[in-house]
Parts: sequence; structure tokens; C-alpha cells
Amino acid sequence: MTNIITAIGIKRSYGKGALEQQILKGIDVTVQAGEFVAIMGKSGAGKSTLMYQLSGLDEPTSGSIDINGIDIVTLNEQDRTAFRLNTLGYVFQDYALVPDLSSEENVMVPILMRGEDWETARTIAREALNAVGLVGKYKNLPGQLSGGEQQRVSIARAVAGKPKILFADEPTANLDSVSGKQVIKLISSLNSDFGQTIVMVTHEREYAENAHRIINMSDGLVINEERLREFTPR
Amino acid sequence: MLRTLRIGLLLGLRQIQRANIWTTSLIIFVMAITFLNLIAVSGILVGLIVGSERAVQSKSIGDIIITERDDEETILQTQRFAQELALAPEVDTYTVRFTASALVEANYTTRTDLSEKANTINGRLVGVDPAAEDSVTKISENVVEGEYLDPSEDGYVLVGSRILDRYTEGLPDSEDTLKDMYPGDKILITIGEATKEFTIKGILDLKVDEVSAKIFMPERELRRLSDNIDRNANEISIKLKQSTDPIAFKESLVRAGLGEYAKIRTFDEALPKFLIDIKKTFNILGIFIGAIGIVVASITIFIIIFINALSRQRQIGILKGIGIERHVIEVAYVLQAAFYAVTGATIGTLITYGFLVGFFDRNPIDFPFSDGILVADPMSTLTRFGILFVITLFAGFLPAWIIVKQNTLNSILGRK
Repeated sequence: MTNIITAIGIKRSYGKGALEQQILKGIDVTVQAGEFVAIMGKSGAGKSTLMYQLSGLDEPTSGSIDINGIDIVTLNEQDRTAFRLNTLGYVFQDYALVPDLSSEENVMVPILMRGEDWETARTIAREALNAVGLVGKYKNLPGQLSGGEQQRVSIARAVAGKPKILFADEPTANLDSVSGKQVIKLISSLNSDFGQTIVMVTHEREYAENAHRIINMSDGLVINEERLREFTPR
Repeated sequence: MLRTLRIGLLLGLRQIQRANIWTTSLIIFVMAITFLNLIAVSGILVGLIVGSERAVQSKSIGDIIITERDDEETILQTQRFAQELALAPEVDTYTVRFTASALVEANYTTRTDLSEKANTINGRLVGVDPAAEDSVTKISENVVEGEYLDPSEDGYVLVGSRILDRYTEGLPDSEDTLKDMYPGDKILITIGEATKEFTIKGILDLKVDEVSAKIFMPERELRRLSDNIDRNANEISIKLKQSTDPIAFKESLVRAGLGEYAKIRTFDEALPKFLIDIKKTFNILGIFIGAIGIVVASITIFIIIFINALSRQRQIGILKGIGIERHVIEVAYVLQAAFYAVTGATIGTLITYGFLVGFFDRNPIDFPFSDGILVADPMSTLTRFGILFVITLFAGFLPAWIIVKQNTLNSILGRK
């Protein structure tokens, strides 16, 4: 078994002195390559904060996070940005698309950043958009797409660069139930069809049940882990 | 580096493309106005003096001015000069001037009480060939009352408005003027022991004191009155043909040996020192005002880009979050600043050269001492364009840098 994420003793606090709030109180998490893990918990449990630490968007107050053999806590900002670009993919709850860029340009930007030329980036972007069911909507601006479609663009952007891990932060939070189910189905298929490692934060049990494992959190701590399906590494 | 520029260009271009057209137009309008302020204000300040220079050149000095040497009272060999100039192909036309100081008295016929102070002034007389003088200076166009001198008539003078009380009321030295004089009125002119009565034929009014403070008469009358028998004059003003280089022509006169008989100077060399000093002062003022304009422009751009970047702080955080280098995002904002600056400055330049320069040439600003024009030297416009551009890039970079350096997660979550 290969752990792609090994986080040990993660603590995160905000504020100083009397105002200091400890959000994560010492968490150990491991995720295997190809595994689909859901993080659940009530509001304020610290699930999003944990995801931010694991995905290199934030720095823990203490602890170590090893992703794909690299301790990301020790990386400087520039290296961490490059690491995120080359290793991780993100799906945010409110899609987080650049409103001035078309669908394909939104997907192309990280690919161009990786050094691909314009034509290659466009081809990859269109393939990714086709894969999420947005054939022919390459030139649409985010504002011209429905919420579900925007989240699909966001997923296409996240996976177009073939990241080692896909992080999804409540990807259905802003969607109606039909669109939400479609998005979860799409994310699940990335795992089942392509072996994409996924860490997803959600508060919807129904959606979390697509994962191999659920990490339940409360008050900054992991209270238990549920194995829903057997995970067989590829 | 190239990759950073390319992606920054894509992000910046798309932001400009998708921005509200009215907002973009307003920003460009502000930049155009700022650039106009940069060019026009200092251009008009300098233009006041250039307008004055042009007037002095066209109405008095000409392209070349020949005057007596410092150790002589007249131009020696004036006739030889005249012969050379008449034959020189570079000369369009020239005028020979005789000058003298005189006592000028007015209102002597109506003066009943001899104990009262006579209405006299110390005047400067200029004797000219009226036709030759007009061919160089077109002075007849500045006769505002009465008529220009007729070469065939004797006993007439043109009086400059600066020595008439009607035109100088409220000005300094307005006491030393002839009271209530009109064309047709008589004045007495005395040079040494010789006195003659003249009739005012016309009144000259122009913004060149060199001319408007003098009395013009046919040269033969002045020579008779001042008993000038050698026909040596005091000034020769030369108007050259358009393509002639004044310096080269001056040198040709000096080479011909005429330099030893008189001082030969180009217009630039003969320009009154006070004009040069004022021009320098106005240039400094222009630079100062221009600097203020540049500061205003850079603050404008800073605010625009800061608000723009601030309103997109979350988007910037997300871009950083998905791995876009901060330099790419900075380039995008610098590009926008450059777009606003270049577009605004280009429009400002087009307005300046396409409209304003021509407009002020046709409709000079009526200042007491000159007809002000707009001077917009292309080289200095280009320099200001460059300065504005570079400062704008910095003014665009700074707010982008401030916003982009914020913590990525804080930007994404909209936290301070």
C-alpha cells in the first residue's frame, strides 16, 4: 500500500494571545494513491481547514504533511505554488472560475503555466471539457453557463493537468440536487475509471458514500473513520 | 519569462476585453485628459514666450539683424550691405532702418497756459522706406487707426500705441505719453536744433514693444531732420527665403568681409535676453506642472488598478491556489495599466497635434504681451509619453503587487 498523503500531528490555530483559536488540534491522516476519501463533519468541525493544510493552500501551525514524497510544509511560497500546479487539482464550492476567460481558457491557463504551447493546451482543455460533458461550450464565459456547468468546467480545469490528487471543497454546495448528483457522479467516475486520488470535503452523507472511506471530524479532531468500500490499489 | 508574459498577457487582455465599456472609456478619458494637461499646460506657458518671439522676429528683428558695432554709431558701409543683400539669392526682402532719439511734443496748439507742463516725451524715431519695411514686417497690418505711410508723402508719421495715453491707461509708465492723439493731429519732433511739425497718419498697435513704442517716418525725413549725410543706417532687418539657413547666410556675409562694418546676428542670437530668461523660467514652470500631472496620472492609475485588483482579490487567490505564479498576475495588471496609459496618451497626442496646435495657431490666446500659441515639440511629447508610460507601469505594478502578495488562502476566503 502506497500512501500518497501522510499528515502527522497537524495543528492549526488562528489569532494570537487571548484571541487564539485552535481549529485543528492534532490530526493524523493518510490517503493512499487512487483512494477516494471524504471528509465530513458539522460546520466548524475543521474539515475545510484540514483540506487547506493537506492541499498546500495553508501552512499548519505544527505537524508534517508528506505528499508524494515531498514535505510540503518546508516548501517556500514559490515552490509550493509550483507544487500545487504540477501535483494537485482543486474544485472549489463556488467554482472559482476566472469570469473574463472562456471555458476553454479557464482550463488552458494552468496547462499553459506548465509550459505547454497554446495549441497543445487548447487540445487538452477541449478534451477535458468534452470529458465532463461540455462539448461545444468552449467559448462560453462562466456567466453564460449554469452552476452545474461551471462546476464541470472547474473539474475539467482541475483534472486536465492529470494531478496526483484532486481536492474538492464542498463541490455541490452551490448546486441544486440534480446538478449536485451529476457533479458527484463525475467526480466519482474520475476515481473509478481513472484511479484519480480524491479528497473531498462535504457535509452531505449521500455524496460522501461514493468514497472508499469517510473521515469524520468534530471540534478539530478526527473522531472516527468509516470504510465504506474496499479499496484496491491499482 | 516568456511563459509568464504570455499568460499575463492573456489574463490582462481578457480583463480589458470583458471590462465594462463605459468604465474603460472613463479611465481612458481621464488618462487622455491627464496627458493633455501634461502637454498643453506647459505647452501654453512656453507658447506665450514663443508667440512673443515669433512676433519679435516677424515684426522687428527678422531672420538676420545687422546693427552698428559697439564702438560705432551706425552701420559702416550701409550701401555696400544694401548692394550685397539686393543681389543675394537667399534674401527674400530686407529693410534699412535709421533711428534717432527725439523730443516729441503734442497738444502745443491748444496749450494756453505756458506755465503748464508741455505734453512732451522722449521718443525713438525710426526712418524707413515704407514699402521695404512693410515687405519685411507687414507692419501696415498693425495700423489700427488711420493709414500706413505713403512713400511719396512728406510730413507724416506713424505713432506706436505705447506712447499714446489712450492705449496705455493703467500700464506702468503711462504718464510718459502723448495725450489724446488721433490720426490727423499734429506733433512737433525735435532732434538737436532741428524741429519739424508732423501729422499723425496712423497708429500702430502690436504686442512688440520694440515697434509699438516708436514713431515711424520715411527715412529721408529722418535723415534730413538728424542731418545724416553719410546715409549709414542703424539697423538692417533681413527676411530670408524659407529654405535658407540663417546661420549659413550670416557666415556668408561675414566671409564676404562685412563683419568688420557691423554686428551681424541671427534672430536667435539677437533675441532679447529677457525673453530667453522668461522662456527658461516658463520651461521650468512647465516641467514642474508636468511633474504634478505625472504624479496625478500615476495616482489615478494606482487607484484604478488597486480597486480593480482589490475587487478581484478572491480571483487572484484562486489563480495562485491553482498554481499560477504571482508574476503572471502582476503582469496582467501592469498590462492593463499600460493599456490605459498608452491609449489615453495616444488620444491625448492625437487631440494635441490633430486639433489643439492648429486651433491655437489660428486663434492665439490674447495675452497682454504676446499672442500665446500651443508649443508641443514632438521630441518633448515623446519624452513625456515615455515618462508617463514608465510611471504608469510602476503605478500599475504596485497595487497588483500589494494584492498578489496577500496570503493565498486569505485571498480565496476573502479574509483580511
